Amino acid sequence: MFIKGVGMTKFDYSQKAWWQFAFEAALEALEDARLKIKDIDAIVFTSISSCTDPKQEHQTHKISLLSELFKTNCPIIETPSVCAGGGVAMWTACHLKGFKNILVLAGEKVVNSITEDTTDKILSAAERIFEQSEGMLFPVQNALLWQEYSKRFGATSDDLALIAFKNHQNAVLNPKAYYYKRPVSLEEIKNSPVVASPLRMMDCALSVNGGAAVVISEEKTDIQILASAFATDYLLTFNRKEYWHFPAAKKAAQLAYQEAKLKPQDIQVAEVHDAFTSVELFSYEDLGFAEEGKGAFLIREGIVNLDGRLPVNPSGGLKAKGHPISVTGLAQFYEIVNQLRNRCQERQVKPVPQIGLCHNVGGAGGSATVHILRRLS
Amino acid sequence: MMQYFYCPKCKEKWQYPVDKCPNCFEKIQREAQGKKIKVLSVCKVQIPTFLHEKVPYFVLLLEDEMGHRWVQKSEREYKTGDEFFLEKARDKKNALVLWKIKYDFYQAIEKIFDLLSIDVLSHFKILILPTLETPVHPYFKENTSPEFLSAILEFLFQKGIKKENIKVLGQSFNQFDIGACAQKSQLLNVCQKFGVLPFDLSQGEFVLKENLEIFKEVFEADLILNLSMLKQSKMQSLENLLKLIKKENYFAQEYLFSKEEILKKLLEILPPVLTLGQADVVQRKDKKHFILDLVLGSFNVLNLERVFFEISFPNEIPQFLKEIDLKEIEIVGRKISEVQVLAFSL
Repeated sequence: MFIKGVGMTKFDYSQKAWWQFAFEAALEALEDARLKIKDIDAIVFTSISSCTDPKQEHQTHKISLLSELFKTNCPIIETPSVCAGGGVAMWTACHLKGFKNILVLAGEKVVNSITEDTTDKILSAAERIFEQSEGMLFPVQNALLWQEYSKRFGATSDDLALIAFKNHQNAVLNPKAYYYKRPVSLEEIKNSPVVASPLRMMDCALSVNGGAAVVISEEKTDIQILASAFATDYLLTFNRKEYWHFPAAKKAAQLAYQEAKLKPQDIQVAEVHDAFTSVELFSYEDLGFAEEGKGAFLIREGIVNLDGRLPVNPSGGLKAKGHPISVTGLAQFYEIVNQLRNRCQERQVKPVPQIGLCHNVGGAGGSATVHILRRLS
Repeated sequence: MMQYFYCPKCKEKWQYPVDKCPNCFEKIQREAQGKKIKVLSVCKVQIPTFLHEKVPYFVLLLEDEMGHRWVQKSEREYKTGDEFFLEKARDKKNALVLWKIKYDFYQAIEKIFDLLSIDVLSHFKILILPTLETPVHPYFKENTSPEFLSAILEFLFQKGIKKENIKVLGQSFNQFDIGACAQKSQLLNVCQKFGVLPFDLSQGEFVLKENLEIFKEVFEADLILNLSMLKQSKMQSLENLLKLIKKENYFAQEYLFSKEEILKKLLEILPPVLTLGQADVVQRKDKKHFILDLVLGSFNVLNLERVFFEISFPNEIPQFLKEIDLKEIEIVGRKISEVQVLAFSL
């Protein structure tokens, strides 16, 4: 499959309806693809709940609302898969047969009121009875994983601070990122309050609202999807054999490299699912960018910086661009496609990369997708 | 301490109580729980959320000798490598077991009997008094749930108790027929499934004790289980016990004494009764529900209700319970701060 166009809203706290985020992103993607909605043969849509406040415009029959908005009667498939929703929607679209042009779309209004609803909706992406009722919310879950990783391999909180700092520096250059033109110093990161020891507030991704869209096609374009891989894992974190990594991401990466007939060393730019800075660090290893236990060297040596050998999260990542749950996976495509097309201006990776990777994770490793894209000359 | 289930054929394990192995189609079985538990990691949480309002608290990653790993909230700060164990109750008569359930009433019942050091011998004659008040489906959370009664019966059979030595009691104090209540609540189905006798107390024999006519077999039973469905609107465990009084006698007493006075007298007369309070889903005064996932167990029914209200509705402790000093209650299993969720109850 090939990518024709990409679109994305600014990630922020603006209070549009959830479907407006999706619609705005879709229009941009269609314009980018030089297509009209009547040229689209199927839509794959993803969101966790469209709107976290059930009393507002939350809609369970979203596909019918999308039909109304787009004035289309084409098949619309919904693939909710929490934070990996975007990646799973893309994987679904790539594996659909018989459709020439497919619009892959996501929209979320995660932050919309001062109630427990937002937290509750996000929490429902992990285990509630055995884990969350025992106080293990996402930061705790990731802190416990990180403690084990750190115990085994000796990486430190300073390494995590460097990852946060890198992603914030990149977001400052990204007009669609929440932290655009809002620099954050390394000291601010290191002195931010501890949420769940040892993870600090500035180790956590930022919940925002937004939308993203990608138009894929059977017709050849300048961007080819070389691989589309997907794996799942147990919801109960510590029932997994290796809980200091995300085995699902490792498996998805292996499948993707196999499908693309490439090696990790061939990747020139990557968007990595940094829901927590610790996740970005051990994902370097899950994705084969570093050997097990050596991920910290990539950040210490600046290899993953914007001017490094393998820039990771040039968009600012979930950490500083923002993380509107299901939208994240498609926003990664927006960034990688624009990087491959040399459209990223101040944050453009140099030399312009030919091969990029998107790594999207659901929950704390319960699902993962890896996609590899190539710019055709 | 964490209950695991396994397929006897392929040995695959689950924490969720699934019915059968999806590969072998064998019925899954309970695995013996680990005894040596080690603290693998400790996370101190410093930011409150609506599910866990009080900070700091600790989340322990635990591992038993079989390699099972799970997390548990703790108000006590452990260190990595510490041994983790549950202390048994010292004062069996007044202590309370607080147990957080994970889909599994059976384990809670097992733990309550274990932590209160209650021996159940196979020749025991046992009376079970569930909450049975209205003819409604179980999801209303008015009556003891069929799953809770099933779990206690399974536990008793596991201990070798004969079905003919178990009676499940009920008596209507309102306009509803007790048979209709038993049928609609599905407790009758459970009795039929397990072959135990559902018994309408109004047909029973009563003996007079200090002006109260009390079901005679209460004084002959080896173990009395008060299976109460805990609620905000009333002290349900105590209300349950009133059903052991003959209906006509109870209403006559009500002319002369307050309900509290009758209860006090009844508690002095009754032999020890083990109350097992069901608080998995709790009914508020407005009849809406919230999830607490708890079972409480104690021979001291007043302590049990006091702790339940402290956990669920700390601003609405009934006057009758206010005199009970919480600090004087020995609580084993879990601590109040570990299980309290106030967001939905207030």
